[in-house]
Amino acid sequence: MSVINDTKAILVGMWTTWKHIFGPSVTVQYPEEKRIPSPRYRARIVLTRDPDGGERCVACYLCSAACPVDCISMQSAEQENGRRYALWFRINFSRCIFCGLCAEACPTMAIQMTPDYEICNRDIMNLLYEKEDLLIDGCGKAPDYNFYHHAGIGVTQPRGAGDEERPPVDVRSLLP
Amino acid sequence: MPKLIIDNIPVEVTQGKTVLEAAKSVGITIPHFCWHPALGKAGACRVCAVKMVDGPVKGIQMSCMLEAQDGMVVSTTDAEAMAMRKQVIEWLMINHPHDCPVCDEGGECQLQDYTIAGGHGLRRYTGKKRTHVNQYLGPHIEHEMNRCIQCYRCVRFYQEFAGGTDFGVMGSAGRIYYGRVADGPLESPFAGNLVDICPTGVFTDKTARFRARYWDYDMAPSVCPHCSLGCNTVPAARYRELLKVIARQNDAVNGWFLCDKGRFTNSAVNAPERPRVPLIDGRQVAWEEALAALLLRIREIGTEYGAESLAIVGSSGLSMEAASLLHLLHEKTGAGSLCYFVDAGEAQQSATVTACLNEQASASMADIQAADLIALVECDLLQDGPMMALAVRQAWRRGAKISLVEDAAGTVAQNDNGLNSTDKLPFEVERVASLIDIPFADAAHPVIIFGGGDKMSEVMAEAGKTGAKLACLLGGPNSFGAALLAKEYGAISLAEAVADKKVRAVVSVEADIPPELLPKLVVVATLDWRNTETVKAAHIVLPTTAWVEMDGTYINNEGRAQRFKKVMQPGLPIKGLNPSLHPPREHTPLVPGGQSRPAWEILVDIVHRLGSEEDIQLFAGQWQRLRDLDATGNGLLLTDIERGIK
Amino acid sequence: MTIDLIDIALVAGKIGLIFLVILGLAAYLVLAERKLLAYIQERLGPNRAGPWGMLQPLADGIKLITKEDVKPAGADKWLFYLAPAMAAIPAIMIFAVIPFGPPITLFGREVGQQVVDINVGLLFFIAFSSIAVYGVALGGWASNSKYALLGSIRGLAQLISYEITMGLSLVPVVMLARSFQLSEIVAAQQSCWFIVYQPLAFIIFLISIFAECKRIPFDLPEAEGELVAGFHTEYSGLRFGLFFVGEYINVIVLGGLAATFFLGGWHGPLLPPVVWFLIKVLAFAFLFIWVRGTLPRLRYDQLMHFGWKVLTPLALVNILATGWFIVLKG
Repeated sequence: MSVINDTKAILVGMWTTWKHIFGPSVTVQYPEEKRIPSPRYRARIVLTRDPDGGERCVACYLCSAACPVDCISMQSAEQENGRRYALWFRINFSRCIFCGLCAEACPTMAIQMTPDYEICNRDIMNLLYEKEDLLIDGCGKAPDYNFYHHAGIGVTQPRGAGDEERPPVDVRSLLP
Repeated sequence: MPKLIIDNIPVEVTQGKTVLEAAKSVGITIPHFCWHPALGKAGACRVCAVKMVDGPVKGIQMSCMLEAQDGMVVSTTDAEAMAMRKQVIEWLMINHPHDCPVCDEGGECQLQDYTIAGGHGLRRYTGKKRTHVNQYLGPHIEHEMNRCIQCYRCVRFYQEFAGGTDFGVMGSAGRIYYGRVADGPLESPFAGNLVDICPTGVFTDKTARFRARYWDYDMAPSVCPHCSLGCNTVPAARYRELLKVIARQNDAVNGWFLCDKGRFTNSAVNAPERPRVPLIDGRQVAWEEALAALLLRIREIGTEYGAESLAIVGSSGLSMEAASLLHLLHEKTGAGSLCYFVDAGEAQQSATVTACLNEQASASMADIQAADLIALVECDLLQDGPMMALAVRQAWRRGAKISLVEDAAGTVAQNDNGLNSTDKLPFEVERVASLIDIPFADAAHPVIIFGGGDKMSEVMAEAGKTGAKLACLLGGPNSFGAALLAKEYGAISLAEAVADKKVRAVVSVEADIPPELLPKLVVVATLDWRNTETVKAAHIVLPTTAWVEMDGTYINNEGRAQRFKKVMQPGLPIKGLNPSLHPPREHTPLVPGGQSRPAWEILVDIVHRLGSEEDIQLFAGQWQRLRDLDATGNGLLLTDIERGIK
Repeated sequence: MTIDLIDIALVAGKIGLIFLVILGLAAYLVLAERKLLAYIQERLGPNRAGPWGMLQPLADGIKLITKEDVKPAGADKWLFYLAPAMAAIPAIMIFAVIPFGPPITLFGREVGQQVVDINVGLLFFIAFSSIAVYGVALGGWASNSKYALLGSIRGLAQLISYEITMGLSLVPVVMLARSFQLSEIVAAQQSCWFIVYQPLAFIIFLISIFAECKRIPFDLPEAEGELVAGFHTEYSGLRFGLFFVGEYINVIVLGGLAATFFLGGWHGPLLPPVVWFLIKVLAFAFLFIWVRGTLPRLRYDQLMHFGWKVLTPLALVNILATGWFIVLKG
């Protein structure tokens, strides 16, 4: 009898919700209690430094290209020693959706996401983070990585002195 | 006409084409590094491997080296061929540095594309990488030899195609090195093409070093404004700054390449001292005020000296849009003279050329490349049209005879830097005393190239007799158009106008008024985007947009109308901008320094203010065809009617 | 008949008292609903305005009052302004006939604990609940909005359909009580509540009043998932508030009627009659909220099918059966 089944279904449903009225709540009372996010939580973005203290960011524009909301902008430039760096680097956190694609795209491990999710602000212009606001004194994840040690074009060491390189070829040699 | 089958698609190509070209003709792209449409084959990179399933040859073959033959059955997707191509990429990557993030080629790199396309993501080879020492190659080109994949494209272009001698390939086996014997600037006036032609980042544009990525560039099809040839370009801009210029293929004009003059002399667009705000006597004012002041001064001149003392001056660098509106300004102001040229000689030369160069007689650059006899008369190719020298070289490489008619002094005048003398021409010439000594009758496709001057009428007469095609180097990118308009409206050059009448006031539209004339003028009003002497001396300055900041049309030296498109927004480049202006703190559509307007738009505005009610349309009457000109095509060769030749 | 000033003062006092109590109840019913739904969904619900969110209704009220009163372009101005009142006022009017306690003696005269005890109280209720339909109809039509119009069309069909089953389910009550007067009906249940004699009529009535106050699972006129907010899509500020409060007043009034018709009205042991009445009304309110937290919305065809092909025949059969019962019992 469908009437009995239907009635039973309604009553079972009512019983279920009845039980939940007295169950515990999952709400976290935010400003008073704070949830501790996992270390890999995707919140405020930082720019890290390599183990030698140099800026890891080489302003390659991959993060700004990967960004689906176009919140990253920068201008690359060249230092005296040929090192590429960001003249200015800007993340508009009022646009950022914290998807993590920038950190994923970063070839030098410079741009990383931290679990600090409390960056709300009353003035939207304060959410425009410049390079000074983003740069931290540390390596973050991948503490040993230094892009220029592997890049193969010199800059932090003489040409051909990198980890995976042979010394420069002598073009004028006649040896086979 | 061999018939073959590529990936189950039947293809028919002309004799002598390679399998790679045959595939390309039906839209199948076979990866390649060393093969280039303009340079031909080398067989150096091995990445164009295909499987010959059936026919005269069988097995894995290099499609760029193999001439298409009847009965060939080709598979580009065969597992064996794909494995081969994949391994070639992996092998090329063995020594390639891990530096894409700091390489300017990244994003526009053929090696990067094919590495990703081939699926080579993880390095398996554990050995060390070969390295090289770089060279200083001058202020324009950056050298990074570690990235080289030995495709020989650079040296084939530099030595074979462009005739350079100071750059080559050295060493053997794993030590192959592309560079100069010693550090120093590259001497060829076509060296900039190494940037375009290198499939990876060995040669990059130093002027745009570390500035932006390919995907961020503002790009649009454009035309080079630096000489009358009208080479096709793609200017690349970012953050309102013109960063670099890339050659754009147009087989009728420049082919695949561009000279260094067109590529590296564009910094005026970004110049901070460029006029960007309307000025009255050096005071920054709003457009409204500036235009009102201009009208007032024109009227004052009219009452004080008579309207005939006013001259409206255009130039050969002015786009056809603006040039074709100048006569309206002339009519409405009642100005005494309308000039499209400042210099009498240039005006005379352009007028003669447009009068004689009919559609049949004008030689395009493609015609020059295909010529078997070329006569050079009173022209300095490397100064006034370097790409034409490259075209002549291609004809010479095919066996054409090049004759240089010496002028009275015995040589073509040498320029200040000495680089443009005939000795530097990238081909051998035979010197003759007169045109009559050249055996035009024996040639099938003779071409006469001349630069104007005294022998103009003689050349014209000779060309008429011999049936040789004519190419002439003119003064500016739109000299041809300006000359046509000058003929239509009976304009004279400014020099003649000054000689004839008492010119007391000048409205200059992107023209350079002779400095000695400037102090004699009561009113100088100029519409310009460059910071010229005229602008510095002008009483009223109205900022116009540069060619990369607007849509426009140039008519090149053979009467080919070409459209260029707006590449970037006018305005001060963000680089060097006051930090309080960027990022903008308030929402406004206004760009700092972005008040420049296209010259034609300003002209329309002035004409309307002068009391004209009519709806001014660009390209009315005989210019109708220029309205829907496609910027990406080969351009539009003007007909004899449009040239005003009966 | 002489008009006594004290009589007038008493009636006015009752009206004022009922107004205050009902509006207060309705306001806190909103809070109770939000809290209960939150608990059902394992949340906390409003808890920021005052202790346990007790000042939330005040905050809501201030918000509604201070919001801009938007009238859509092309709306029928007067009807647009009239509709919310048409929805809220009849609901309160119905309460005039509901007895919430036995007559008491005040100032030496017998005073009924109801505003007015008219002998056609039940018909008064049905008449006014029909007028409430105009609120929905006019609100949706006057808004000049497709969502509002669709909502009001649905609402019209639904309310008219379920008014019939509601009316039919009350016929046995009248037959048993032999009166349309609500105080008589309550009096008839002194020994035994009608729910015992008429369980089927009670269920039909219960379902019908769910439909009458347009609440889940019969909230098709609003159907926020499909029609934005149905017939009151275009309303804002206090006018929306009137629709909103009207819905909760409806809940209280219909709960009170259900108690009156089937649960013996104010009858009950030990506790004072008014308290009993209040308990019953609140029990119904709780049921309304509980059901809202449990059941999904019906489809339109299911609604119509259920009303016309199931409830209406059942109610008719029930009337026949009751008639037989009364005749047989003699």
